[in-house]
Amino acid sequence: MLDDIEQARVMSEDLGTKNDMNIAQTPEVKPGTASPNASISRKLRDFYDAVQEEGIPDRFLDLLERLDQAEKNAKSVEAK
Amino acid sequence: MSKEVDTDDRIFKRDLLSSLPNLRAFAVSLTGRHDKADDLVQDTIMKAWANQKSFTAGTNMRAWLFTILRNEFYSQMRKRGREVQDTDGLFSERFSVHPEQYGRLDLQDFRKALDKLPDDQREAIVLVGAAGFAYEEAAEICGCAVGTIKSRVSRARTRLQELLGVSGESDYGPDAGDAAITARAFGS
Repeated sequence: MLDDIEQARVMSEDLGTKNDMNIAQTPEVKPGTASPNASISRKLRDFYDAVQEEGIPDRFLDLLERLDQAEKNAKSVEAK
Repeated sequence: MSKEVDTDDRIFKRDLLSSLPNLRAFAVSLTGRHDKADDLVQDTIMKAWANQKSFTAGTNMRAWLFTILRNEFYSQMRKRGREVQDTDGLFSERFSVHPEQYGRLDLQDFRKALDKLPDDQREAIVLVGAAGFAYEEAAEICGCAVGTIKSRVSRARTRLQELLGVSGESDYGPDAGDAAITARAFGS
């Protein structure tokens, strides 16, 4: 887990998962023009991707580390 | 046996971690602000962690997390009542705090328009159009029929087009401009 978190810190910008679902609905659109729907879809994804690309704030990585540690401590107490 | 549990445990944590950017973008879409979104994501992580056992390994972790976050969002909203309704003034103030995040003017405009949608339409179009869920998954997350999601998405699109004054071709303003410049630069 700790390794995963470290990796996430390094690679957080790559974690913004892109999806290829619902890619702009652009059938029957002449080159150089955009259907209103395609334009809305594109703006929505641009906005959403911009947030995703901010990566994972440190507060969440720290939180996960703490939760992970607490769990390990609890387990080692149980084991005793 | 314990080895198997450890593996599930690891997978759970890894999947949770890799879902976070998407989950956070959904939270920003719902709340309209980064600080509130991050509080919501934090609450969701705590809930998800505490309920690890209720997650069925191999099923859709992302949909599970989105459902938790969404439920948390609405239950907090019910508890607190809708806080200050956004006005344009408030909005520009809040976004001037992070100009680098919304440097692009058209993104800011889009954000404003998205914020004006009713909650049910906003979540529907975000889940289907940006977060990468199928209509069926979005319906499950929102606890409604697939047809309901489809009509919400469609109404959301129409409303966004109205709000943004999108009418097709003219919307490609910057691109059309670039094309013209390119044409001038390289044209004979």
